[in-house]
Amino acid sequence: MGEPLLILDGVSKLYGDVPAVRGIDLRIDAGEFVAIMGPSGCGKTTTLRMLAGLETPSDGEIRLRGRRMNEVKPWDRDTPMVWQSLALFPFMSVLKNVEFGLKMRGLGAAERERRAMGWLERLHIAAYRDRQVSQLSGGERQRVALARALVTEPEILLLDEPMSALDAHLVVHMQSELKQLQEQLGITFCYVTHNQSEAFAMADRVVIMSQGRVQQIGSPREVYRTPATRFVAEFVGANNILPGRVRALSDGLVEVETAFGCLRAKAPADDTPEVGRDVSLVVSADRVVLGREAAAEGNSLPGTLIGEEFVGAVVTLYLDIGRETELRVQTQQHNLDDLDLARGTRLVASWRPEHSVILPEG
Amino acid sequence: MPVWQILFFVAAMAFLVVMSFWSVKSFRLTPDFTFANWIKMYGAGYFQDTYLRTVLYASLAAAVSSAIAFPCAFGLAFRVSPNVRRLIVFMLMTPYFTSYLVRSYSWKIVLTENGVLNTLFGWIGLGPFDMTSNLFATMVGYLTLILPIVILLQYFSLVNVDRNLIEAAHNLRCGRLRTVFVIIVPAAKIGIILAATFAFILSFGDFVSPSFLGGSKPPTLSILMVDSVKSGSQWPRAAVVALTMVFTLLVVAFAALTLAYGSGKRGR
Repeated sequence: MGEPLLILDGVSKLYGDVPAVRGIDLRIDAGEFVAIMGPSGCGKTTTLRMLAGLETPSDGEIRLRGRRMNEVKPWDRDTPMVWQSLALFPFMSVLKNVEFGLKMRGLGAAERERRAMGWLERLHIAAYRDRQVSQLSGGERQRVALARALVTEPEILLLDEPMSALDAHLVVHMQSELKQLQEQLGITFCYVTHNQSEAFAMADRVVIMSQGRVQQIGSPREVYRTPATRFVAEFVGANNILPGRVRALSDGLVEVETAFGCLRAKAPADDTPEVGRDVSLVVSADRVVLGREAAAEGNSLPGTLIGEEFVGAVVTLYLDIGRETELRVQTQQHNLDDLDLARGTRLVASWRPEHSVILPEG
Repeated sequence: MPVWQILFFVAAMAFLVVMSFWSVKSFRLTPDFTFANWIKMYGAGYFQDTYLRTVLYASLAAAVSSAIAFPCAFGLAFRVSPNVRRLIVFMLMTPYFTSYLVRSYSWKIVLTENGVLNTLFGWIGLGPFDMTSNLFATMVGYLTLILPIVILLQYFSLVNVDRNLIEAAHNLRCGRLRTVFVIIVPAAKIGIILAATFAFILSFGDFVSPSFLGGSKPPTLSILMVDSVKSGSQWPRAAVVALTMVFTLLVVAFAALTLAYGSGKRGR
C-alpha cells in the first residue's frame, strides 16, 4: 500500500497548560475505516479537530499524503467532517446545504445541483430536497450531513460521534449503511466515538485513547481479546482483572500467584514477564464457564452467586470469589437452564489458560 | 388586556383618531366631523416632502447605525474575552444613564463653529467645518440615541450563533470573510433586522436631534407636528401627522418581523 494516507507523528495539543492530546502516533491507510474510541475527555475529538484543521497541534506533525498539514487552514484542506450536532445550516434548504461545499469551490449552479442530487438520491433523501432542515427527522438530518460532507468526494471523511443523537434502533441500521457506503466509496473514514459497539461494528481498526494518549491500536477482535493495557481491559468489553505475581513460566503459559490461588494465562507474544513481577491477569467475562464442579484442567475459582443481570439472550452473573472481589461471567441464557441457579448457589468458574492474558503491573 | 394599555394606548389612539376630524375655530379646538385636516395635510407639498424626508432620514440612520454597529458587535461576540465583553456591554448601557437631551446638547459643544472639533482641526490648519444645523449633525444625534442599542441587539444575536455552523462552513472551504456573510449574518438575521427596526423607529419619531442638532430646517414629521400645535393650535393637524407616523411604524414593524421570521408558512 506504500505510504499511509495520513500520518500523525508525536502530535500533542495543549490548551494553556492543560494537555488534551499527548504525543500520539498514528498511521491511517487509504480506504481504512478507523474508529478512535475513548471516554469523554480522552482527546479523541481534539485529535479529529486537528485533522480538520480546527485546532493547531502544539507539537508533532500531521501529514496527509506526505504534506505537512499543521498550519493549513480548515478552508484550505479537504477534510470534511460530520459533526455531533450535525451543524446543518438552518436557514438553507436540504439541497442548498448539500450544495454548499460545491458552491465554495466555484462550481456552476447546474453542476452543483446535479452532483448534490446524486448524493441525495444515493442516501435516499432526494424527496426532501426543498425542505428546511427543521422539518426533517433525526435520521434524515444525519443523511443530509453525510451528503453535505461527501459531496466534494474527499479522500477522507471525519465523523465526530455523528450517531449520538439517533434512536437506538436507527443507530444499528445506520451503522451497517455507513459501513457499506464506506466500502463502496473506498474513502477513508475516521470515526470518533465513545461507544464500543459502534466502533466494533464498523471499524477495520480501533484506536483506544485515554488521557490524551493512545492505549492500543488494533482490529476490534485484537482489542477485545488481547487488551494491551489495564485501561483497555477496563474500558473494552467486560473483563475480570485479577492482580498477582508471576510465579513460573512454562510452555508459553505464565503461572500467576493471585490471592485466589494459582492461575495460568497465555504469555504475551512480544515480551515475556520475568518471574516475580507484579502483573494483572485478565479474563473476559464471556470466556468464563460456570459449573457445579471444577473443570479437570485450566483455571478454576469457586464462588457464590450474588447477582444476575438479564438482557435478552445474554446474561451477566456476578460471583463472589472472596476478598471483596466479584467475578463477572457472561453467557447465553440457555447455557444456564440445567444449572438451577439461585442467589447463594455455590459455583465454580473456570476458563482455559489461553483465554486469559497478562498485563504488566498490578 | 391590561387596564394600563387600554387607558394609555387604545384610548389615547382613539382620541387621536377622533381629534383628527375636529376643527379649530379662532384658535379653539372644536368637536366636529370634517375631513379638512386630512385633505389639507395630505394635499400639501411640504407634508409630502417632510414625510419622505423623515422616512429617508430614519432609514439612513438605521442603515448607518447597523453598518457601524456590526463590526463592534461582531468583535464583542467573537473576538474579546468574557471579561472585556462584560465591561463593554456595561459601557454600552451607561449612555442611557444620562438624558438623551443632555447628550445631544453636548454634541453641539463638540460640533459648533467654535467647538472642540473645529478647534482641533484649526490646530492642524483645517476648517472650520460646518457641522451643525445639517444632515450630518442630525445623524450624529440619531446615532447618539440608537447606536448602543443597535450594537447590543446585534451582539445578542451574534453571540447565540452556533459556533459549529461557523466551523462547518470553514470545514467546507468557506473562508473567514465569506463565512461572515453567508453563514453568520443569515444565522443572526433576526437580531440584525430587529436592531435596524429599532433604529428606524427611534429615529423616525425623534424630535431632539433634527431640531437641536439639525436646526429644524428642513423639518421632520415630529417638528412639523410640534409646529402645527405651536403656531395656531392646530391639534387636529398634529393628530393627522401623529396617526400617519403611527401607521408608518406599524407597517415598518410588521414588514421587519415578516422579513426576520419569515411569513410563517415555512414551518419554522
